Amino acid sequence: MSPFRKIAPEVHSVDKIDFIEPEHQLLPGGTTFFTLNGGTQEVVKLDFSFKAGNWYEDSKLDSLMAASMIAEGTSSKTAREIADRIDFYGAQFNSIPYYDNNYVSLLALKKHLPHLIPLLAEIIQDASFPEHEFEIARQKRKQRAQVDAEKVGMVAQRAFLRSLLGPGHPYAPVASPEAYDSVTVEGAMSNYKKHYYSANATLFASGDVDEEVKKMIADHFGPAWGTPSKFKTDQVPGQSSGERSSFIERENANQNAVTIGKRVPTQHHPDSPGLKLLTTIFGGYFGSRLMSNLREEKGLTYGIHASVVSFVRDAIFMIHAEITAEKTEEAIKEIFHEMQRLQDELVPESELEPLRSFLSGRMLEDFDGPFARAQSFSSLYEAGLKVDYFDKIIHAIKTTTPEQIRELARKYFDPETMYTVAAGKK
Amino acid sequence: MPKFFFKQDAFPGNPVSISTTMIQFDKIKLDNGLTVIVHTDKSTPFVAVNVCYKVGSKHEDPNRTGFAHLFEHLTFGGSANVKDFDLAVQRAGGANNAFTSNDLTNYYITLPANNIETALWLESDRMLGPKFSKKGLDVQKKVVIEEFRQRNLNKPYGDVWHLLRDLAYKVHPYRWPTIGLIPEHIESAGLGDVKDFFFHHYAPNNAVLVISGNIASAEAFQLAQKWFGDIPSREITPYLAQTEPLQQTDQEITVYRDVPIDTFYVAWHMGARNDKNFYVLDLLSDILSNGSSSRFEVRLVKEQKLFTEADAYLSGENEPGLFIATGKASTGVDIHLAREKMLEEIMMTVETPITAYELEKVKNRVESDLLLNEIGYLEKAIQLASFEIMGDASEINRQGEKYREITAEDLLETANLLFRKGNRNILNYLSLQNSKK
Repeated sequence: MSPFRKIAPEVHSVDKIDFIEPEHQLLPGGTTFFTLNGGTQEVVKLDFSFKAGNWYEDSKLDSLMAASMIAEGTSSKTAREIADRIDFYGAQFNSIPYYDNNYVSLLALKKHLPHLIPLLAEIIQDASFPEHEFEIARQKRKQRAQVDAEKVGMVAQRAFLRSLLGPGHPYAPVASPEAYDSVTVEGAMSNYKKHYYSANATLFASGDVDEEVKKMIADHFGPAWGTPSKFKTDQVPGQSSGERSSFIERENANQNAVTIGKRVPTQHHPDSPGLKLLTTIFGGYFGSRLMSNLREEKGLTYGIHASVVSFVRDAIFMIHAEITAEKTEEAIKEIFHEMQRLQDELVPESELEPLRSFLSGRMLEDFDGPFARAQSFSSLYEAGLKVDYFDKIIHAIKTTTPEQIRELARKYFDPETMYTVAAGKK
Repeated sequence: MPKFFFKQDAFPGNPVSISTTMIQFDKIKLDNGLTVIVHTDKSTPFVAVNVCYKVGSKHEDPNRTGFAHLFEHLTFGGSANVKDFDLAVQRAGGANNAFTSNDLTNYYITLPANNIETALWLESDRMLGPKFSKKGLDVQKKVVIEEFRQRNLNKPYGDVWHLLRDLAYKVHPYRWPTIGLIPEHIESAGLGDVKDFFFHHYAPNNAVLVISGNIASAEAFQLAQKWFGDIPSREITPYLAQTEPLQQTDQEITVYRDVPIDTFYVAWHMGARNDKNFYVLDLLSDILSNGSSSRFEVRLVKEQKLFTEADAYLSGENEPGLFIATGKASTGVDIHLAREKMLEEIMMTVETPITAYELEKVKNRVESDLLLNEIGYLEKAIQLASFEIMGDASEINRQGEKYREITAEDLLETANLLFRKGNRNILNYLSLQNSKK
């Protein structure tokens, strides 16, 4: 017998997401240690975060170079020995620089942790920054930056951040790959010495984290390490360059990149959850206004996306797309047209209702399994938010009205306040 | 030439045995030929519904390349009973996507387990027959051409695979990439071609359905029967596998492009995905370049400082593919010198057996990777489908054993076969700016 296909099967809404907070303890050295036990495999992930990102830099790229150098030697091991041991035990090690915090993570089979945790402690607590390794890392980073400088998408986004924040702002990227010519091992080392210490670290252990694993972690990361230091926490005023619209020429481009956006309130502001919903309607998912218009209706782009990028001390609303060079003007016009439409018209419930379900599903995904939960809670705590923020998000997803959405659009989507950067062929 | 040397006694602790967890699954075949596989994972509130069709860019007419991928885009335009595919998925709290490769086209939906019927309704309606409109086709042709530009034409090094495939293959359809040979092929696709393509490749008897996540096998099979059981099987255009003639002479081409750094790609013909040597060569590529302690990283990047990046990997198709070595030369280093040094490093694997320590290290790495890659219910569904398309899903659980059995002699022997004279293809991809200096 054939199923009845004419009408969609009945759907059930996501009714319950478990926001129970991970257990935590304060280790004697001042590290906050969270554990999220669960999962089906004997695998453990350790994620350290240090307040050591761009925000805390004395000069640009120090934080990035410090992150690049952390596993390149300790006082008793060479880079080669460290690499050999990580690889021998099949572990995945990562050291990632970012805007506010830098991250060090290790993903490994539980059975290898007795070998890997002592090594990880040595890497984090006793990095030696050998000069010859620094030079190799610097060259590698510079070449990558040179390749990035040939990608119109990267060029536009980086220029956008510099225009919006002002080139001196800690979150603003460097202007060119030549910036790597002036980085020094002393600068990177100083970033490491100042910011990688026990009381400045947060640790999430997720996966198959039993008492034995916790004890191993407490043994190696419990006592104080490193030297606490004072560093700037005060807000640097945004020094925008003032140019609201700019074009960076790349004569050989056959596609242009466009980035448009502005600063918006951080996640602490009451508008933040609603603004995220508005941004999703506008350009945050496959069925968004921008995708429907520019891709599915006009075929101008492979993809266009709008999002609110949240930093600890700032938030940026940003639209990005790559478009056939000769259609750039038309695409920009359509982007602003869609912004205007959200200010003039109410979003119909037929559009809102599936979006509410879709976002509830993504929220459920953010808490599916120990690794996803660790990620969600780590972002929450990093931003200085409490667990009720998740409830606020759910509330905004489920109850924000079309009128409130229009109100938010009128408040934040004023074209006069937007910065526009295009890169490519004029 | 220095002999290879690796410390063998550097680490405390006993060598560990390779153990991999088994992925449990059940499999049936419906009367219409659809293979259904179910993997239950109660740790997630979600399910994945994954439908994989045995059609990829290798099934295309050489004058109509890029078609399988364009077609994938088109099937999202709705079907007989579904007006808007994406909207229906969103309403059920789900997410969906698809990808096309040289060998297959794979669609998936993930959604909360209690909404699984929405996904089955959508995928079965897609299999029954999408709605093809002239407007939909015209728009998606533009979108795909923008994708072509974004990924291949407007991106540094974006045309490498076009050049490399064209150089290495003479007759096999792997000679063009999935995106297509040229945008004009996509431009010229007509509505007639689209319909024809569908009815000759999209059918229950040419597909594998995998359901994974929070659902029991019995229930999943019953739902699969309900939604897919009445779809008629169709006559599939037979795929005539063309055997690439054995390459007899080494080849080399050089191109100049608007890129900042000189690079090269060397490609050797290797065996098929289900060939024993595939696993041997996967280990060999790991020995050469996987991880910071790999030979390329230690000797070419760190010691000799010839490269900032050096890599070896397999193209990974189901039919005989390519073993690739590539690198970006350090500033000021002559690219040809760097290339020769990398080839010397590679040729050592032909002459000197790998040490027991190094073999154990790469096997440990493989054990971890197999386990770490199999955590997500969606990844498991995609993997199961892909192994079933190759012949048998249960091969997924034999990978560990296949890697485990590999000996130093196997590596030596396979390296000798692979790196034989006449089997090599070199693409020098040089910076236009550097050449003018």
